[in-house]
Amino acid sequence: MSADVQIAVAVRSGAWAQLWRSTRARWCIGIVLVYVAMALYGEAVYQWHQWHDVVPSYQHQDLDRRFEPPGRDHWLGTDALGRDVLQRLVQGARIAFRVGIITSLIAIPIGVLLGALAGYFGGKTDDVIVWLYSTFAAIPGLLFILAIAMVVGKGLLGVYLGIGLTMWVGVCRLVRAEVMKQRALPYVMAARVLGYSHARIIVRHILPNVLHIIIVAFTLRFPASVGTEVFMSFLGLGVQGEPSWGIMINNARLRLWQGVWWEMTFVTLALFLLVWAFNLLGDALRDALDPRVRSQRT
Amino acid sequence: MHADPTPAIRLPAWIGMLLLISLAFPLGCGDPTLRTSAPVESVLRQDTLRIRGFDPVKAGDAPSALAIARIYEPLLQYAYLDRPYRVVPLLAADLPVVSDDGLTYTFTIRPGIHFQDDPCFTATGGKGREVTAEDFVYSVKRLADRKNQSVGYWILDGRVVGLDAFREASGTPEPTDYDVEIEGIRALDRYTLQWKLTEPYPQLLWVLAMHYVCAFPREAVERYGDAITRHPVGTGPYILEQWVPNYRLDYVRNPKWAETGRIDRFPSTATEAFRERGLLADAGQPLPFIDRITDTVVMDPATRWLMFMKEQLDASDVSRDNWDAVLDDQLGLAPALAARGITVSHGPSLRLGYFAFNMEDPLLGANRALRQAMTCAFDTEAWITLYNGRITRPNGPIPEGLDGHEPDYQPFPFDLDRAKALMVEAGFPEGRDPATGRRLQITLELGRADDAELRQSAELFAHFMSRIGIQINLSYNNGPAFFDKLERRQAPMFFLSWIGDYPDAENFLQLFYGPNSSPGPNRSNYRNPEFDALYERIRVMPDTPERTALYQAMARIVIADCPWIFAYQHLNVGLRHAWFGNYAMHAFPYGNEKYYRINRAGGAGGAR
Repeated sequence: MSADVQIAVAVRSGAWAQLWRSTRARWCIGIVLVYVAMALYGEAVYQWHQWHDVVPSYQHQDLDRRFEPPGRDHWLGTDALGRDVLQRLVQGARIAFRVGIITSLIAIPIGVLLGALAGYFGGKTDDVIVWLYSTFAAIPGLLFILAIAMVVGKGLLGVYLGIGLTMWVGVCRLVRAEVMKQRALPYVMAARVLGYSHARIIVRHILPNVLHIIIVAFTLRFPASVGTEVFMSFLGLGVQGEPSWGIMINNARLRLWQGVWWEMTFVTLALFLLVWAFNLLGDALRDALDPRVRSQRT
Repeated sequence: MHADPTPAIRLPAWIGMLLLISLAFPLGCGDPTLRTSAPVESVLRQDTLRIRGFDPVKAGDAPSALAIARIYEPLLQYAYLDRPYRVVPLLAADLPVVSDDGLTYTFTIRPGIHFQDDPCFTATGGKGREVTAEDFVYSVKRLADRKNQSVGYWILDGRVVGLDAFREASGTPEPTDYDVEIEGIRALDRYTLQWKLTEPYPQLLWVLAMHYVCAFPREAVERYGDAITRHPVGTGPYILEQWVPNYRLDYVRNPKWAETGRIDRFPSTATEAFRERGLLADAGQPLPFIDRITDTVVMDPATRWLMFMKEQLDASDVSRDNWDAVLDDQLGLAPALAARGITVSHGPSLRLGYFAFNMEDPLLGANRALRQAMTCAFDTEAWITLYNGRITRPNGPIPEGLDGHEPDYQPFPFDLDRAKALMVEAGFPEGRDPATGRRLQITLELGRADDAELRQSAELFAHFMSRIGIQINLSYNNGPAFFDKLERRQAPMFFLSWIGDYPDAENFLQLFYGPNSSPGPNRSNYRNPEFDALYERIRVMPDTPERTALYQAMARIVIADCPWIFAYQHLNVGLRHAWFGNYAMHAFPYGNEKYYRINRAGGAGGAR
């Protein structure tokens, strides 16, 4: 029992140090922080314009300056309506982060709760929950998202719910498996013998030991939901009237063959870097947090 | 000796694979021009959009109408090469005899016209029977039958004696009785069709050139029921070979024409301009020239363009974002394209785009100054820049090319200062509601969500309005949801266009007639007693200078009231590859494929 507790403690204390030791992870953290700063700045700009009730600067159009290549006034060029691509890119990052965070806030609690219940109690509970997530997993994800977007209407709410309500399945599966493993370990049995309530055992004893799975799931789900949002917006089902990356890519497509490359390139690059950094970070986190992987290395 | 033996082994294997594949797919030879046994076909390959089907009474959109016009034929058609537009007989033997009071029209039907062969003609063992006047009567009854949810009844609504009563009676759950006699539309004998009208209908001949009233076989409806929309049985120059919805349509030459000896000839009259272009070289030749038409559904303008450049399509329009790369300021073709033999033709279309106000909206409908302010804030020059000059800005409801068009009458041109003054008059200085201090918010409903061109137009419009302090919220819908909102009168503003059905301004003015409100064509729900009174006068007036003067007066009323912001009149521009012959731009191109030629090397139609 004491050995297991020590592992749990070690996860918390040593993980950062190990993560930081990896150059690749440091780079990824740096990139993610840049995006966070961009998103926060974008949110501030957005809220400021909302508060003052004026037209946001990223919506400012100037038809005399359409399709300007990157230059001094517009670092990343202008689009079909003469709007600044950089400012819209930043707003796109804001929307990407909103989607990534809010969908995770929807999906992870559902996934963790159901996964923990299924894994801990087993039996009938497990059957029901497994049936539920198998059913969800069997529905083609995109169709499901489109259906939800149709029901709640287009716009960010539809994106949040659509992605959030489909993404919990993966989290649930991972947590269930891990909780099942933990349930059989001596420290849980000891807690049971001591007469602790199920809720206390799950929340105080098991969950801290599966936390690494949740963190890794978050970092891997985040770019996936950003990608899905871009995809939905590209199809016109996502964000309305705001500069999402998907909408920008759709707009940029029209002139691409005439050599108007900047909007498409920079937006795609931004999307690529974000997804790439988060994925690598997720791997690095798994290396750092998963006790098994750690023990194999040392 | 050192030669690598593997190629010798590989080659037969590779050939063997090919042989296997060709054995497995004996019909795999998709391109009919590759078949050697039959004479080479001439094939027209075009793009289209999604079509609703082949039921003439249920299709009101242009792509469906184009498809239907290849298979079903009306009594009249447009003279292909004559301008101004006029109608000539198609299935009628001649233009109708009209009584002195203008209320009775008598058509003689061309004898010897046959439907295509189809199993539905059980009496003749599947052979297509001859068309009679009864087929047109049946088609009119079908158009009027409420159970068919016809989109085209407006062409005869209130005009034909007894037809409205038939329509009312068809609203009951019992099957509609198609044997009942209607006084206003009767077959006097096998080849004589008589119309009796309730009031003079100066546009009757125009609407009879549309696809709604055509030779339509009752047997086919009785056999196929609602599936008639996928299984057309017509008289036209082509028959449907296959339809893969949302992907492609194939038509082939109707063999019945040759079998029954039906000969329709290429017109021998043309305007001077068409004559100079040599379009009369085929005058008197039997139609059609093309053996096969392949329509591919291409929704995306960029894809369409690339397909045209790869010679997978014989003709193409020019999308907004290609415009400046393809055409110069004088609408001349870019040298690289001209060198490939591509030709261009252009002419004003009768497509009028507009931002409409819902006149039943409590804010917008009651506040004329607000609508005028928004009209004044509409920046014509910037708007045309967005479209790269492929549009003109109409000044009112009557587009260029029709009688009654007054280009110089522009009481609300772009003027930002005046727009701001009008906003004060409207009670929203700087666009802000004095009660709340917030900006005015108006929702603009849009028909498609995935169309980047539409989105850019809407965003530019929002930008124009933001200059006078109005915040436009863009709401994107799919097509059905959009029209549903319009029909329930729930859209405060919307962006739409109207394509003229015939070359008479009445077709545009009816869009403002009060009783035509949603779900009718007056989607703005505009009501003005003065306008309505004038409309009721002109709807029975023959084409006279007096009527044109009334058209102008009506247009002025609409322009002053601003129920629409008139946004664009499209310039039709078409590109064609060198082998595409006999093309003349037409505002109503329905059924015109029979005049075209495809002169590809080795093609059967290589005369020109």
